[in-house]
Amino acid sequence: MRRRSAIMTTATALAGALALAGCSDSGAKSGSGSGSGSGSRSAAKAELSVSGSYIPQPVSADMAAGFLTITNKGGAKDELTSVSSAAAGQVTMHSTTGGAMREQISFAIPAHGQLVFKSGGNHLMFEKLKRKPKQGQTVTVKLTFATSGPLTVEMPVESATYNPSTGH
Amino acid sequence: MRKKTFAAAALLAAATLTLSACGNGKDDKSPVSVVSEESGSGKAATVLDQPFDKPDLVLTDTHGKKYDLRKETQGHPTLVYFGYTHCPDICPTTMSNIAVAKKALPKAEQDNLKVVFVTTDPGRDTPAELGKWLKGIDPQFIGLTGNFATIQAGARSLGISVEPTSKDKNGKLVSVHGTQVIAFSPKTNGGYVLYGEQATVDDYTKDLPKLVQGANP
Repeated sequence: MRRRSAIMTTATALAGALALAGCSDSGAKSGSGSGSGSGSRSAAKAELSVSGSYIPQPVSADMAAGFLTITNKGGAKDELTSVSSAAAGQVTMHSTTGGAMREQISFAIPAHGQLVFKSGGNHLMFEKLKRKPKQGQTVTVKLTFATSGPLTVEMPVESATYNPSTGH
Repeated sequence: MRKKTFAAAALLAAATLTLSACGNGKDDKSPVSVVSEESGSGKAATVLDQPFDKPDLVLTDTHGKKYDLRKETQGHPTLVYFGYTHCPDICPTTMSNIAVAKKALPKAEQDNLKVVFVTTDPGRDTPAELGKWLKGIDPQFIGLTGNFATIQAGARSLGISVEPTSKDKNGKLVSVHGTQVIAFSPKTNGGYVLYGEQATVDDYTKDLPKLVQGANP
């Protein structure tokens, strides 16, 4: 009984995550947004989805920035703990506080809230890329969380001057 | 009157603001937002009532040659920006925005315009590294490197704060540098227009034809 309801919850969360991924342009592919393994308390789980992701075409393969928004529709907070990509030697997360750009080891995702990476604010930093990402390509990125299962995102590469508010 | 208020706000922002490579703070009370609000009102450019003197910088260009900023850019429309090549977000975006906008100018004006990128990370940005990076954006752009204290003093004279990249207590890198672009007039050689990091490629495309004449955008 208990087991069955846990499975149902996971399935519901999965369906939710997939539906969200369907309407986002960043194509979050996997991950159920659950997986804390703590049983059937469905109300207290994070439900994560990704939208608005892009990488501005960088100057060289040495370094690129990445931006995306993680939305949490669930009633529990979560934390983005790491970002990785087979296309890059290293992916790190950075914030800006008090005028200083600073590398962070994790970012909080509030319940019923968002974690936003956008130009001029938080950003992902890809280093030692295998090749220079070009406009029109995508870069596959895996996001790992403190409690939720990982999410895989296909991040489109946009022009170097791309502005998400105008879409070009 | 209105214009004066804008200029005062911009000067205050320019004097106090320490924007990083990667953005402005979210604090609505910060001077950064004063400039943002003006930009939000439809103009990316802030025309300064009291122009900056061009900094007396003698540095090394991407060919390893001595470059006297005042002498080399005398009488040319000139855009000056302080940044570093290991900067993923604002530096390449700002330089790419200017590069794309520049291509809309007639050829003679493109050649006359001097776009100068001064590194705030001379330890890593050697003339060769700078040259390679700028070539990927616009081969006409001028890259300067040299003594950090000299560069910092030059930036400070334009109200731009730059700090050496340091490590915090967790060993993580911290970078601080202002993200303003200052436009210098070909007529007066004064730095009379300031752009923040929000300036888009469309803003520069609209304003460059004015800036190359020394006119207000």
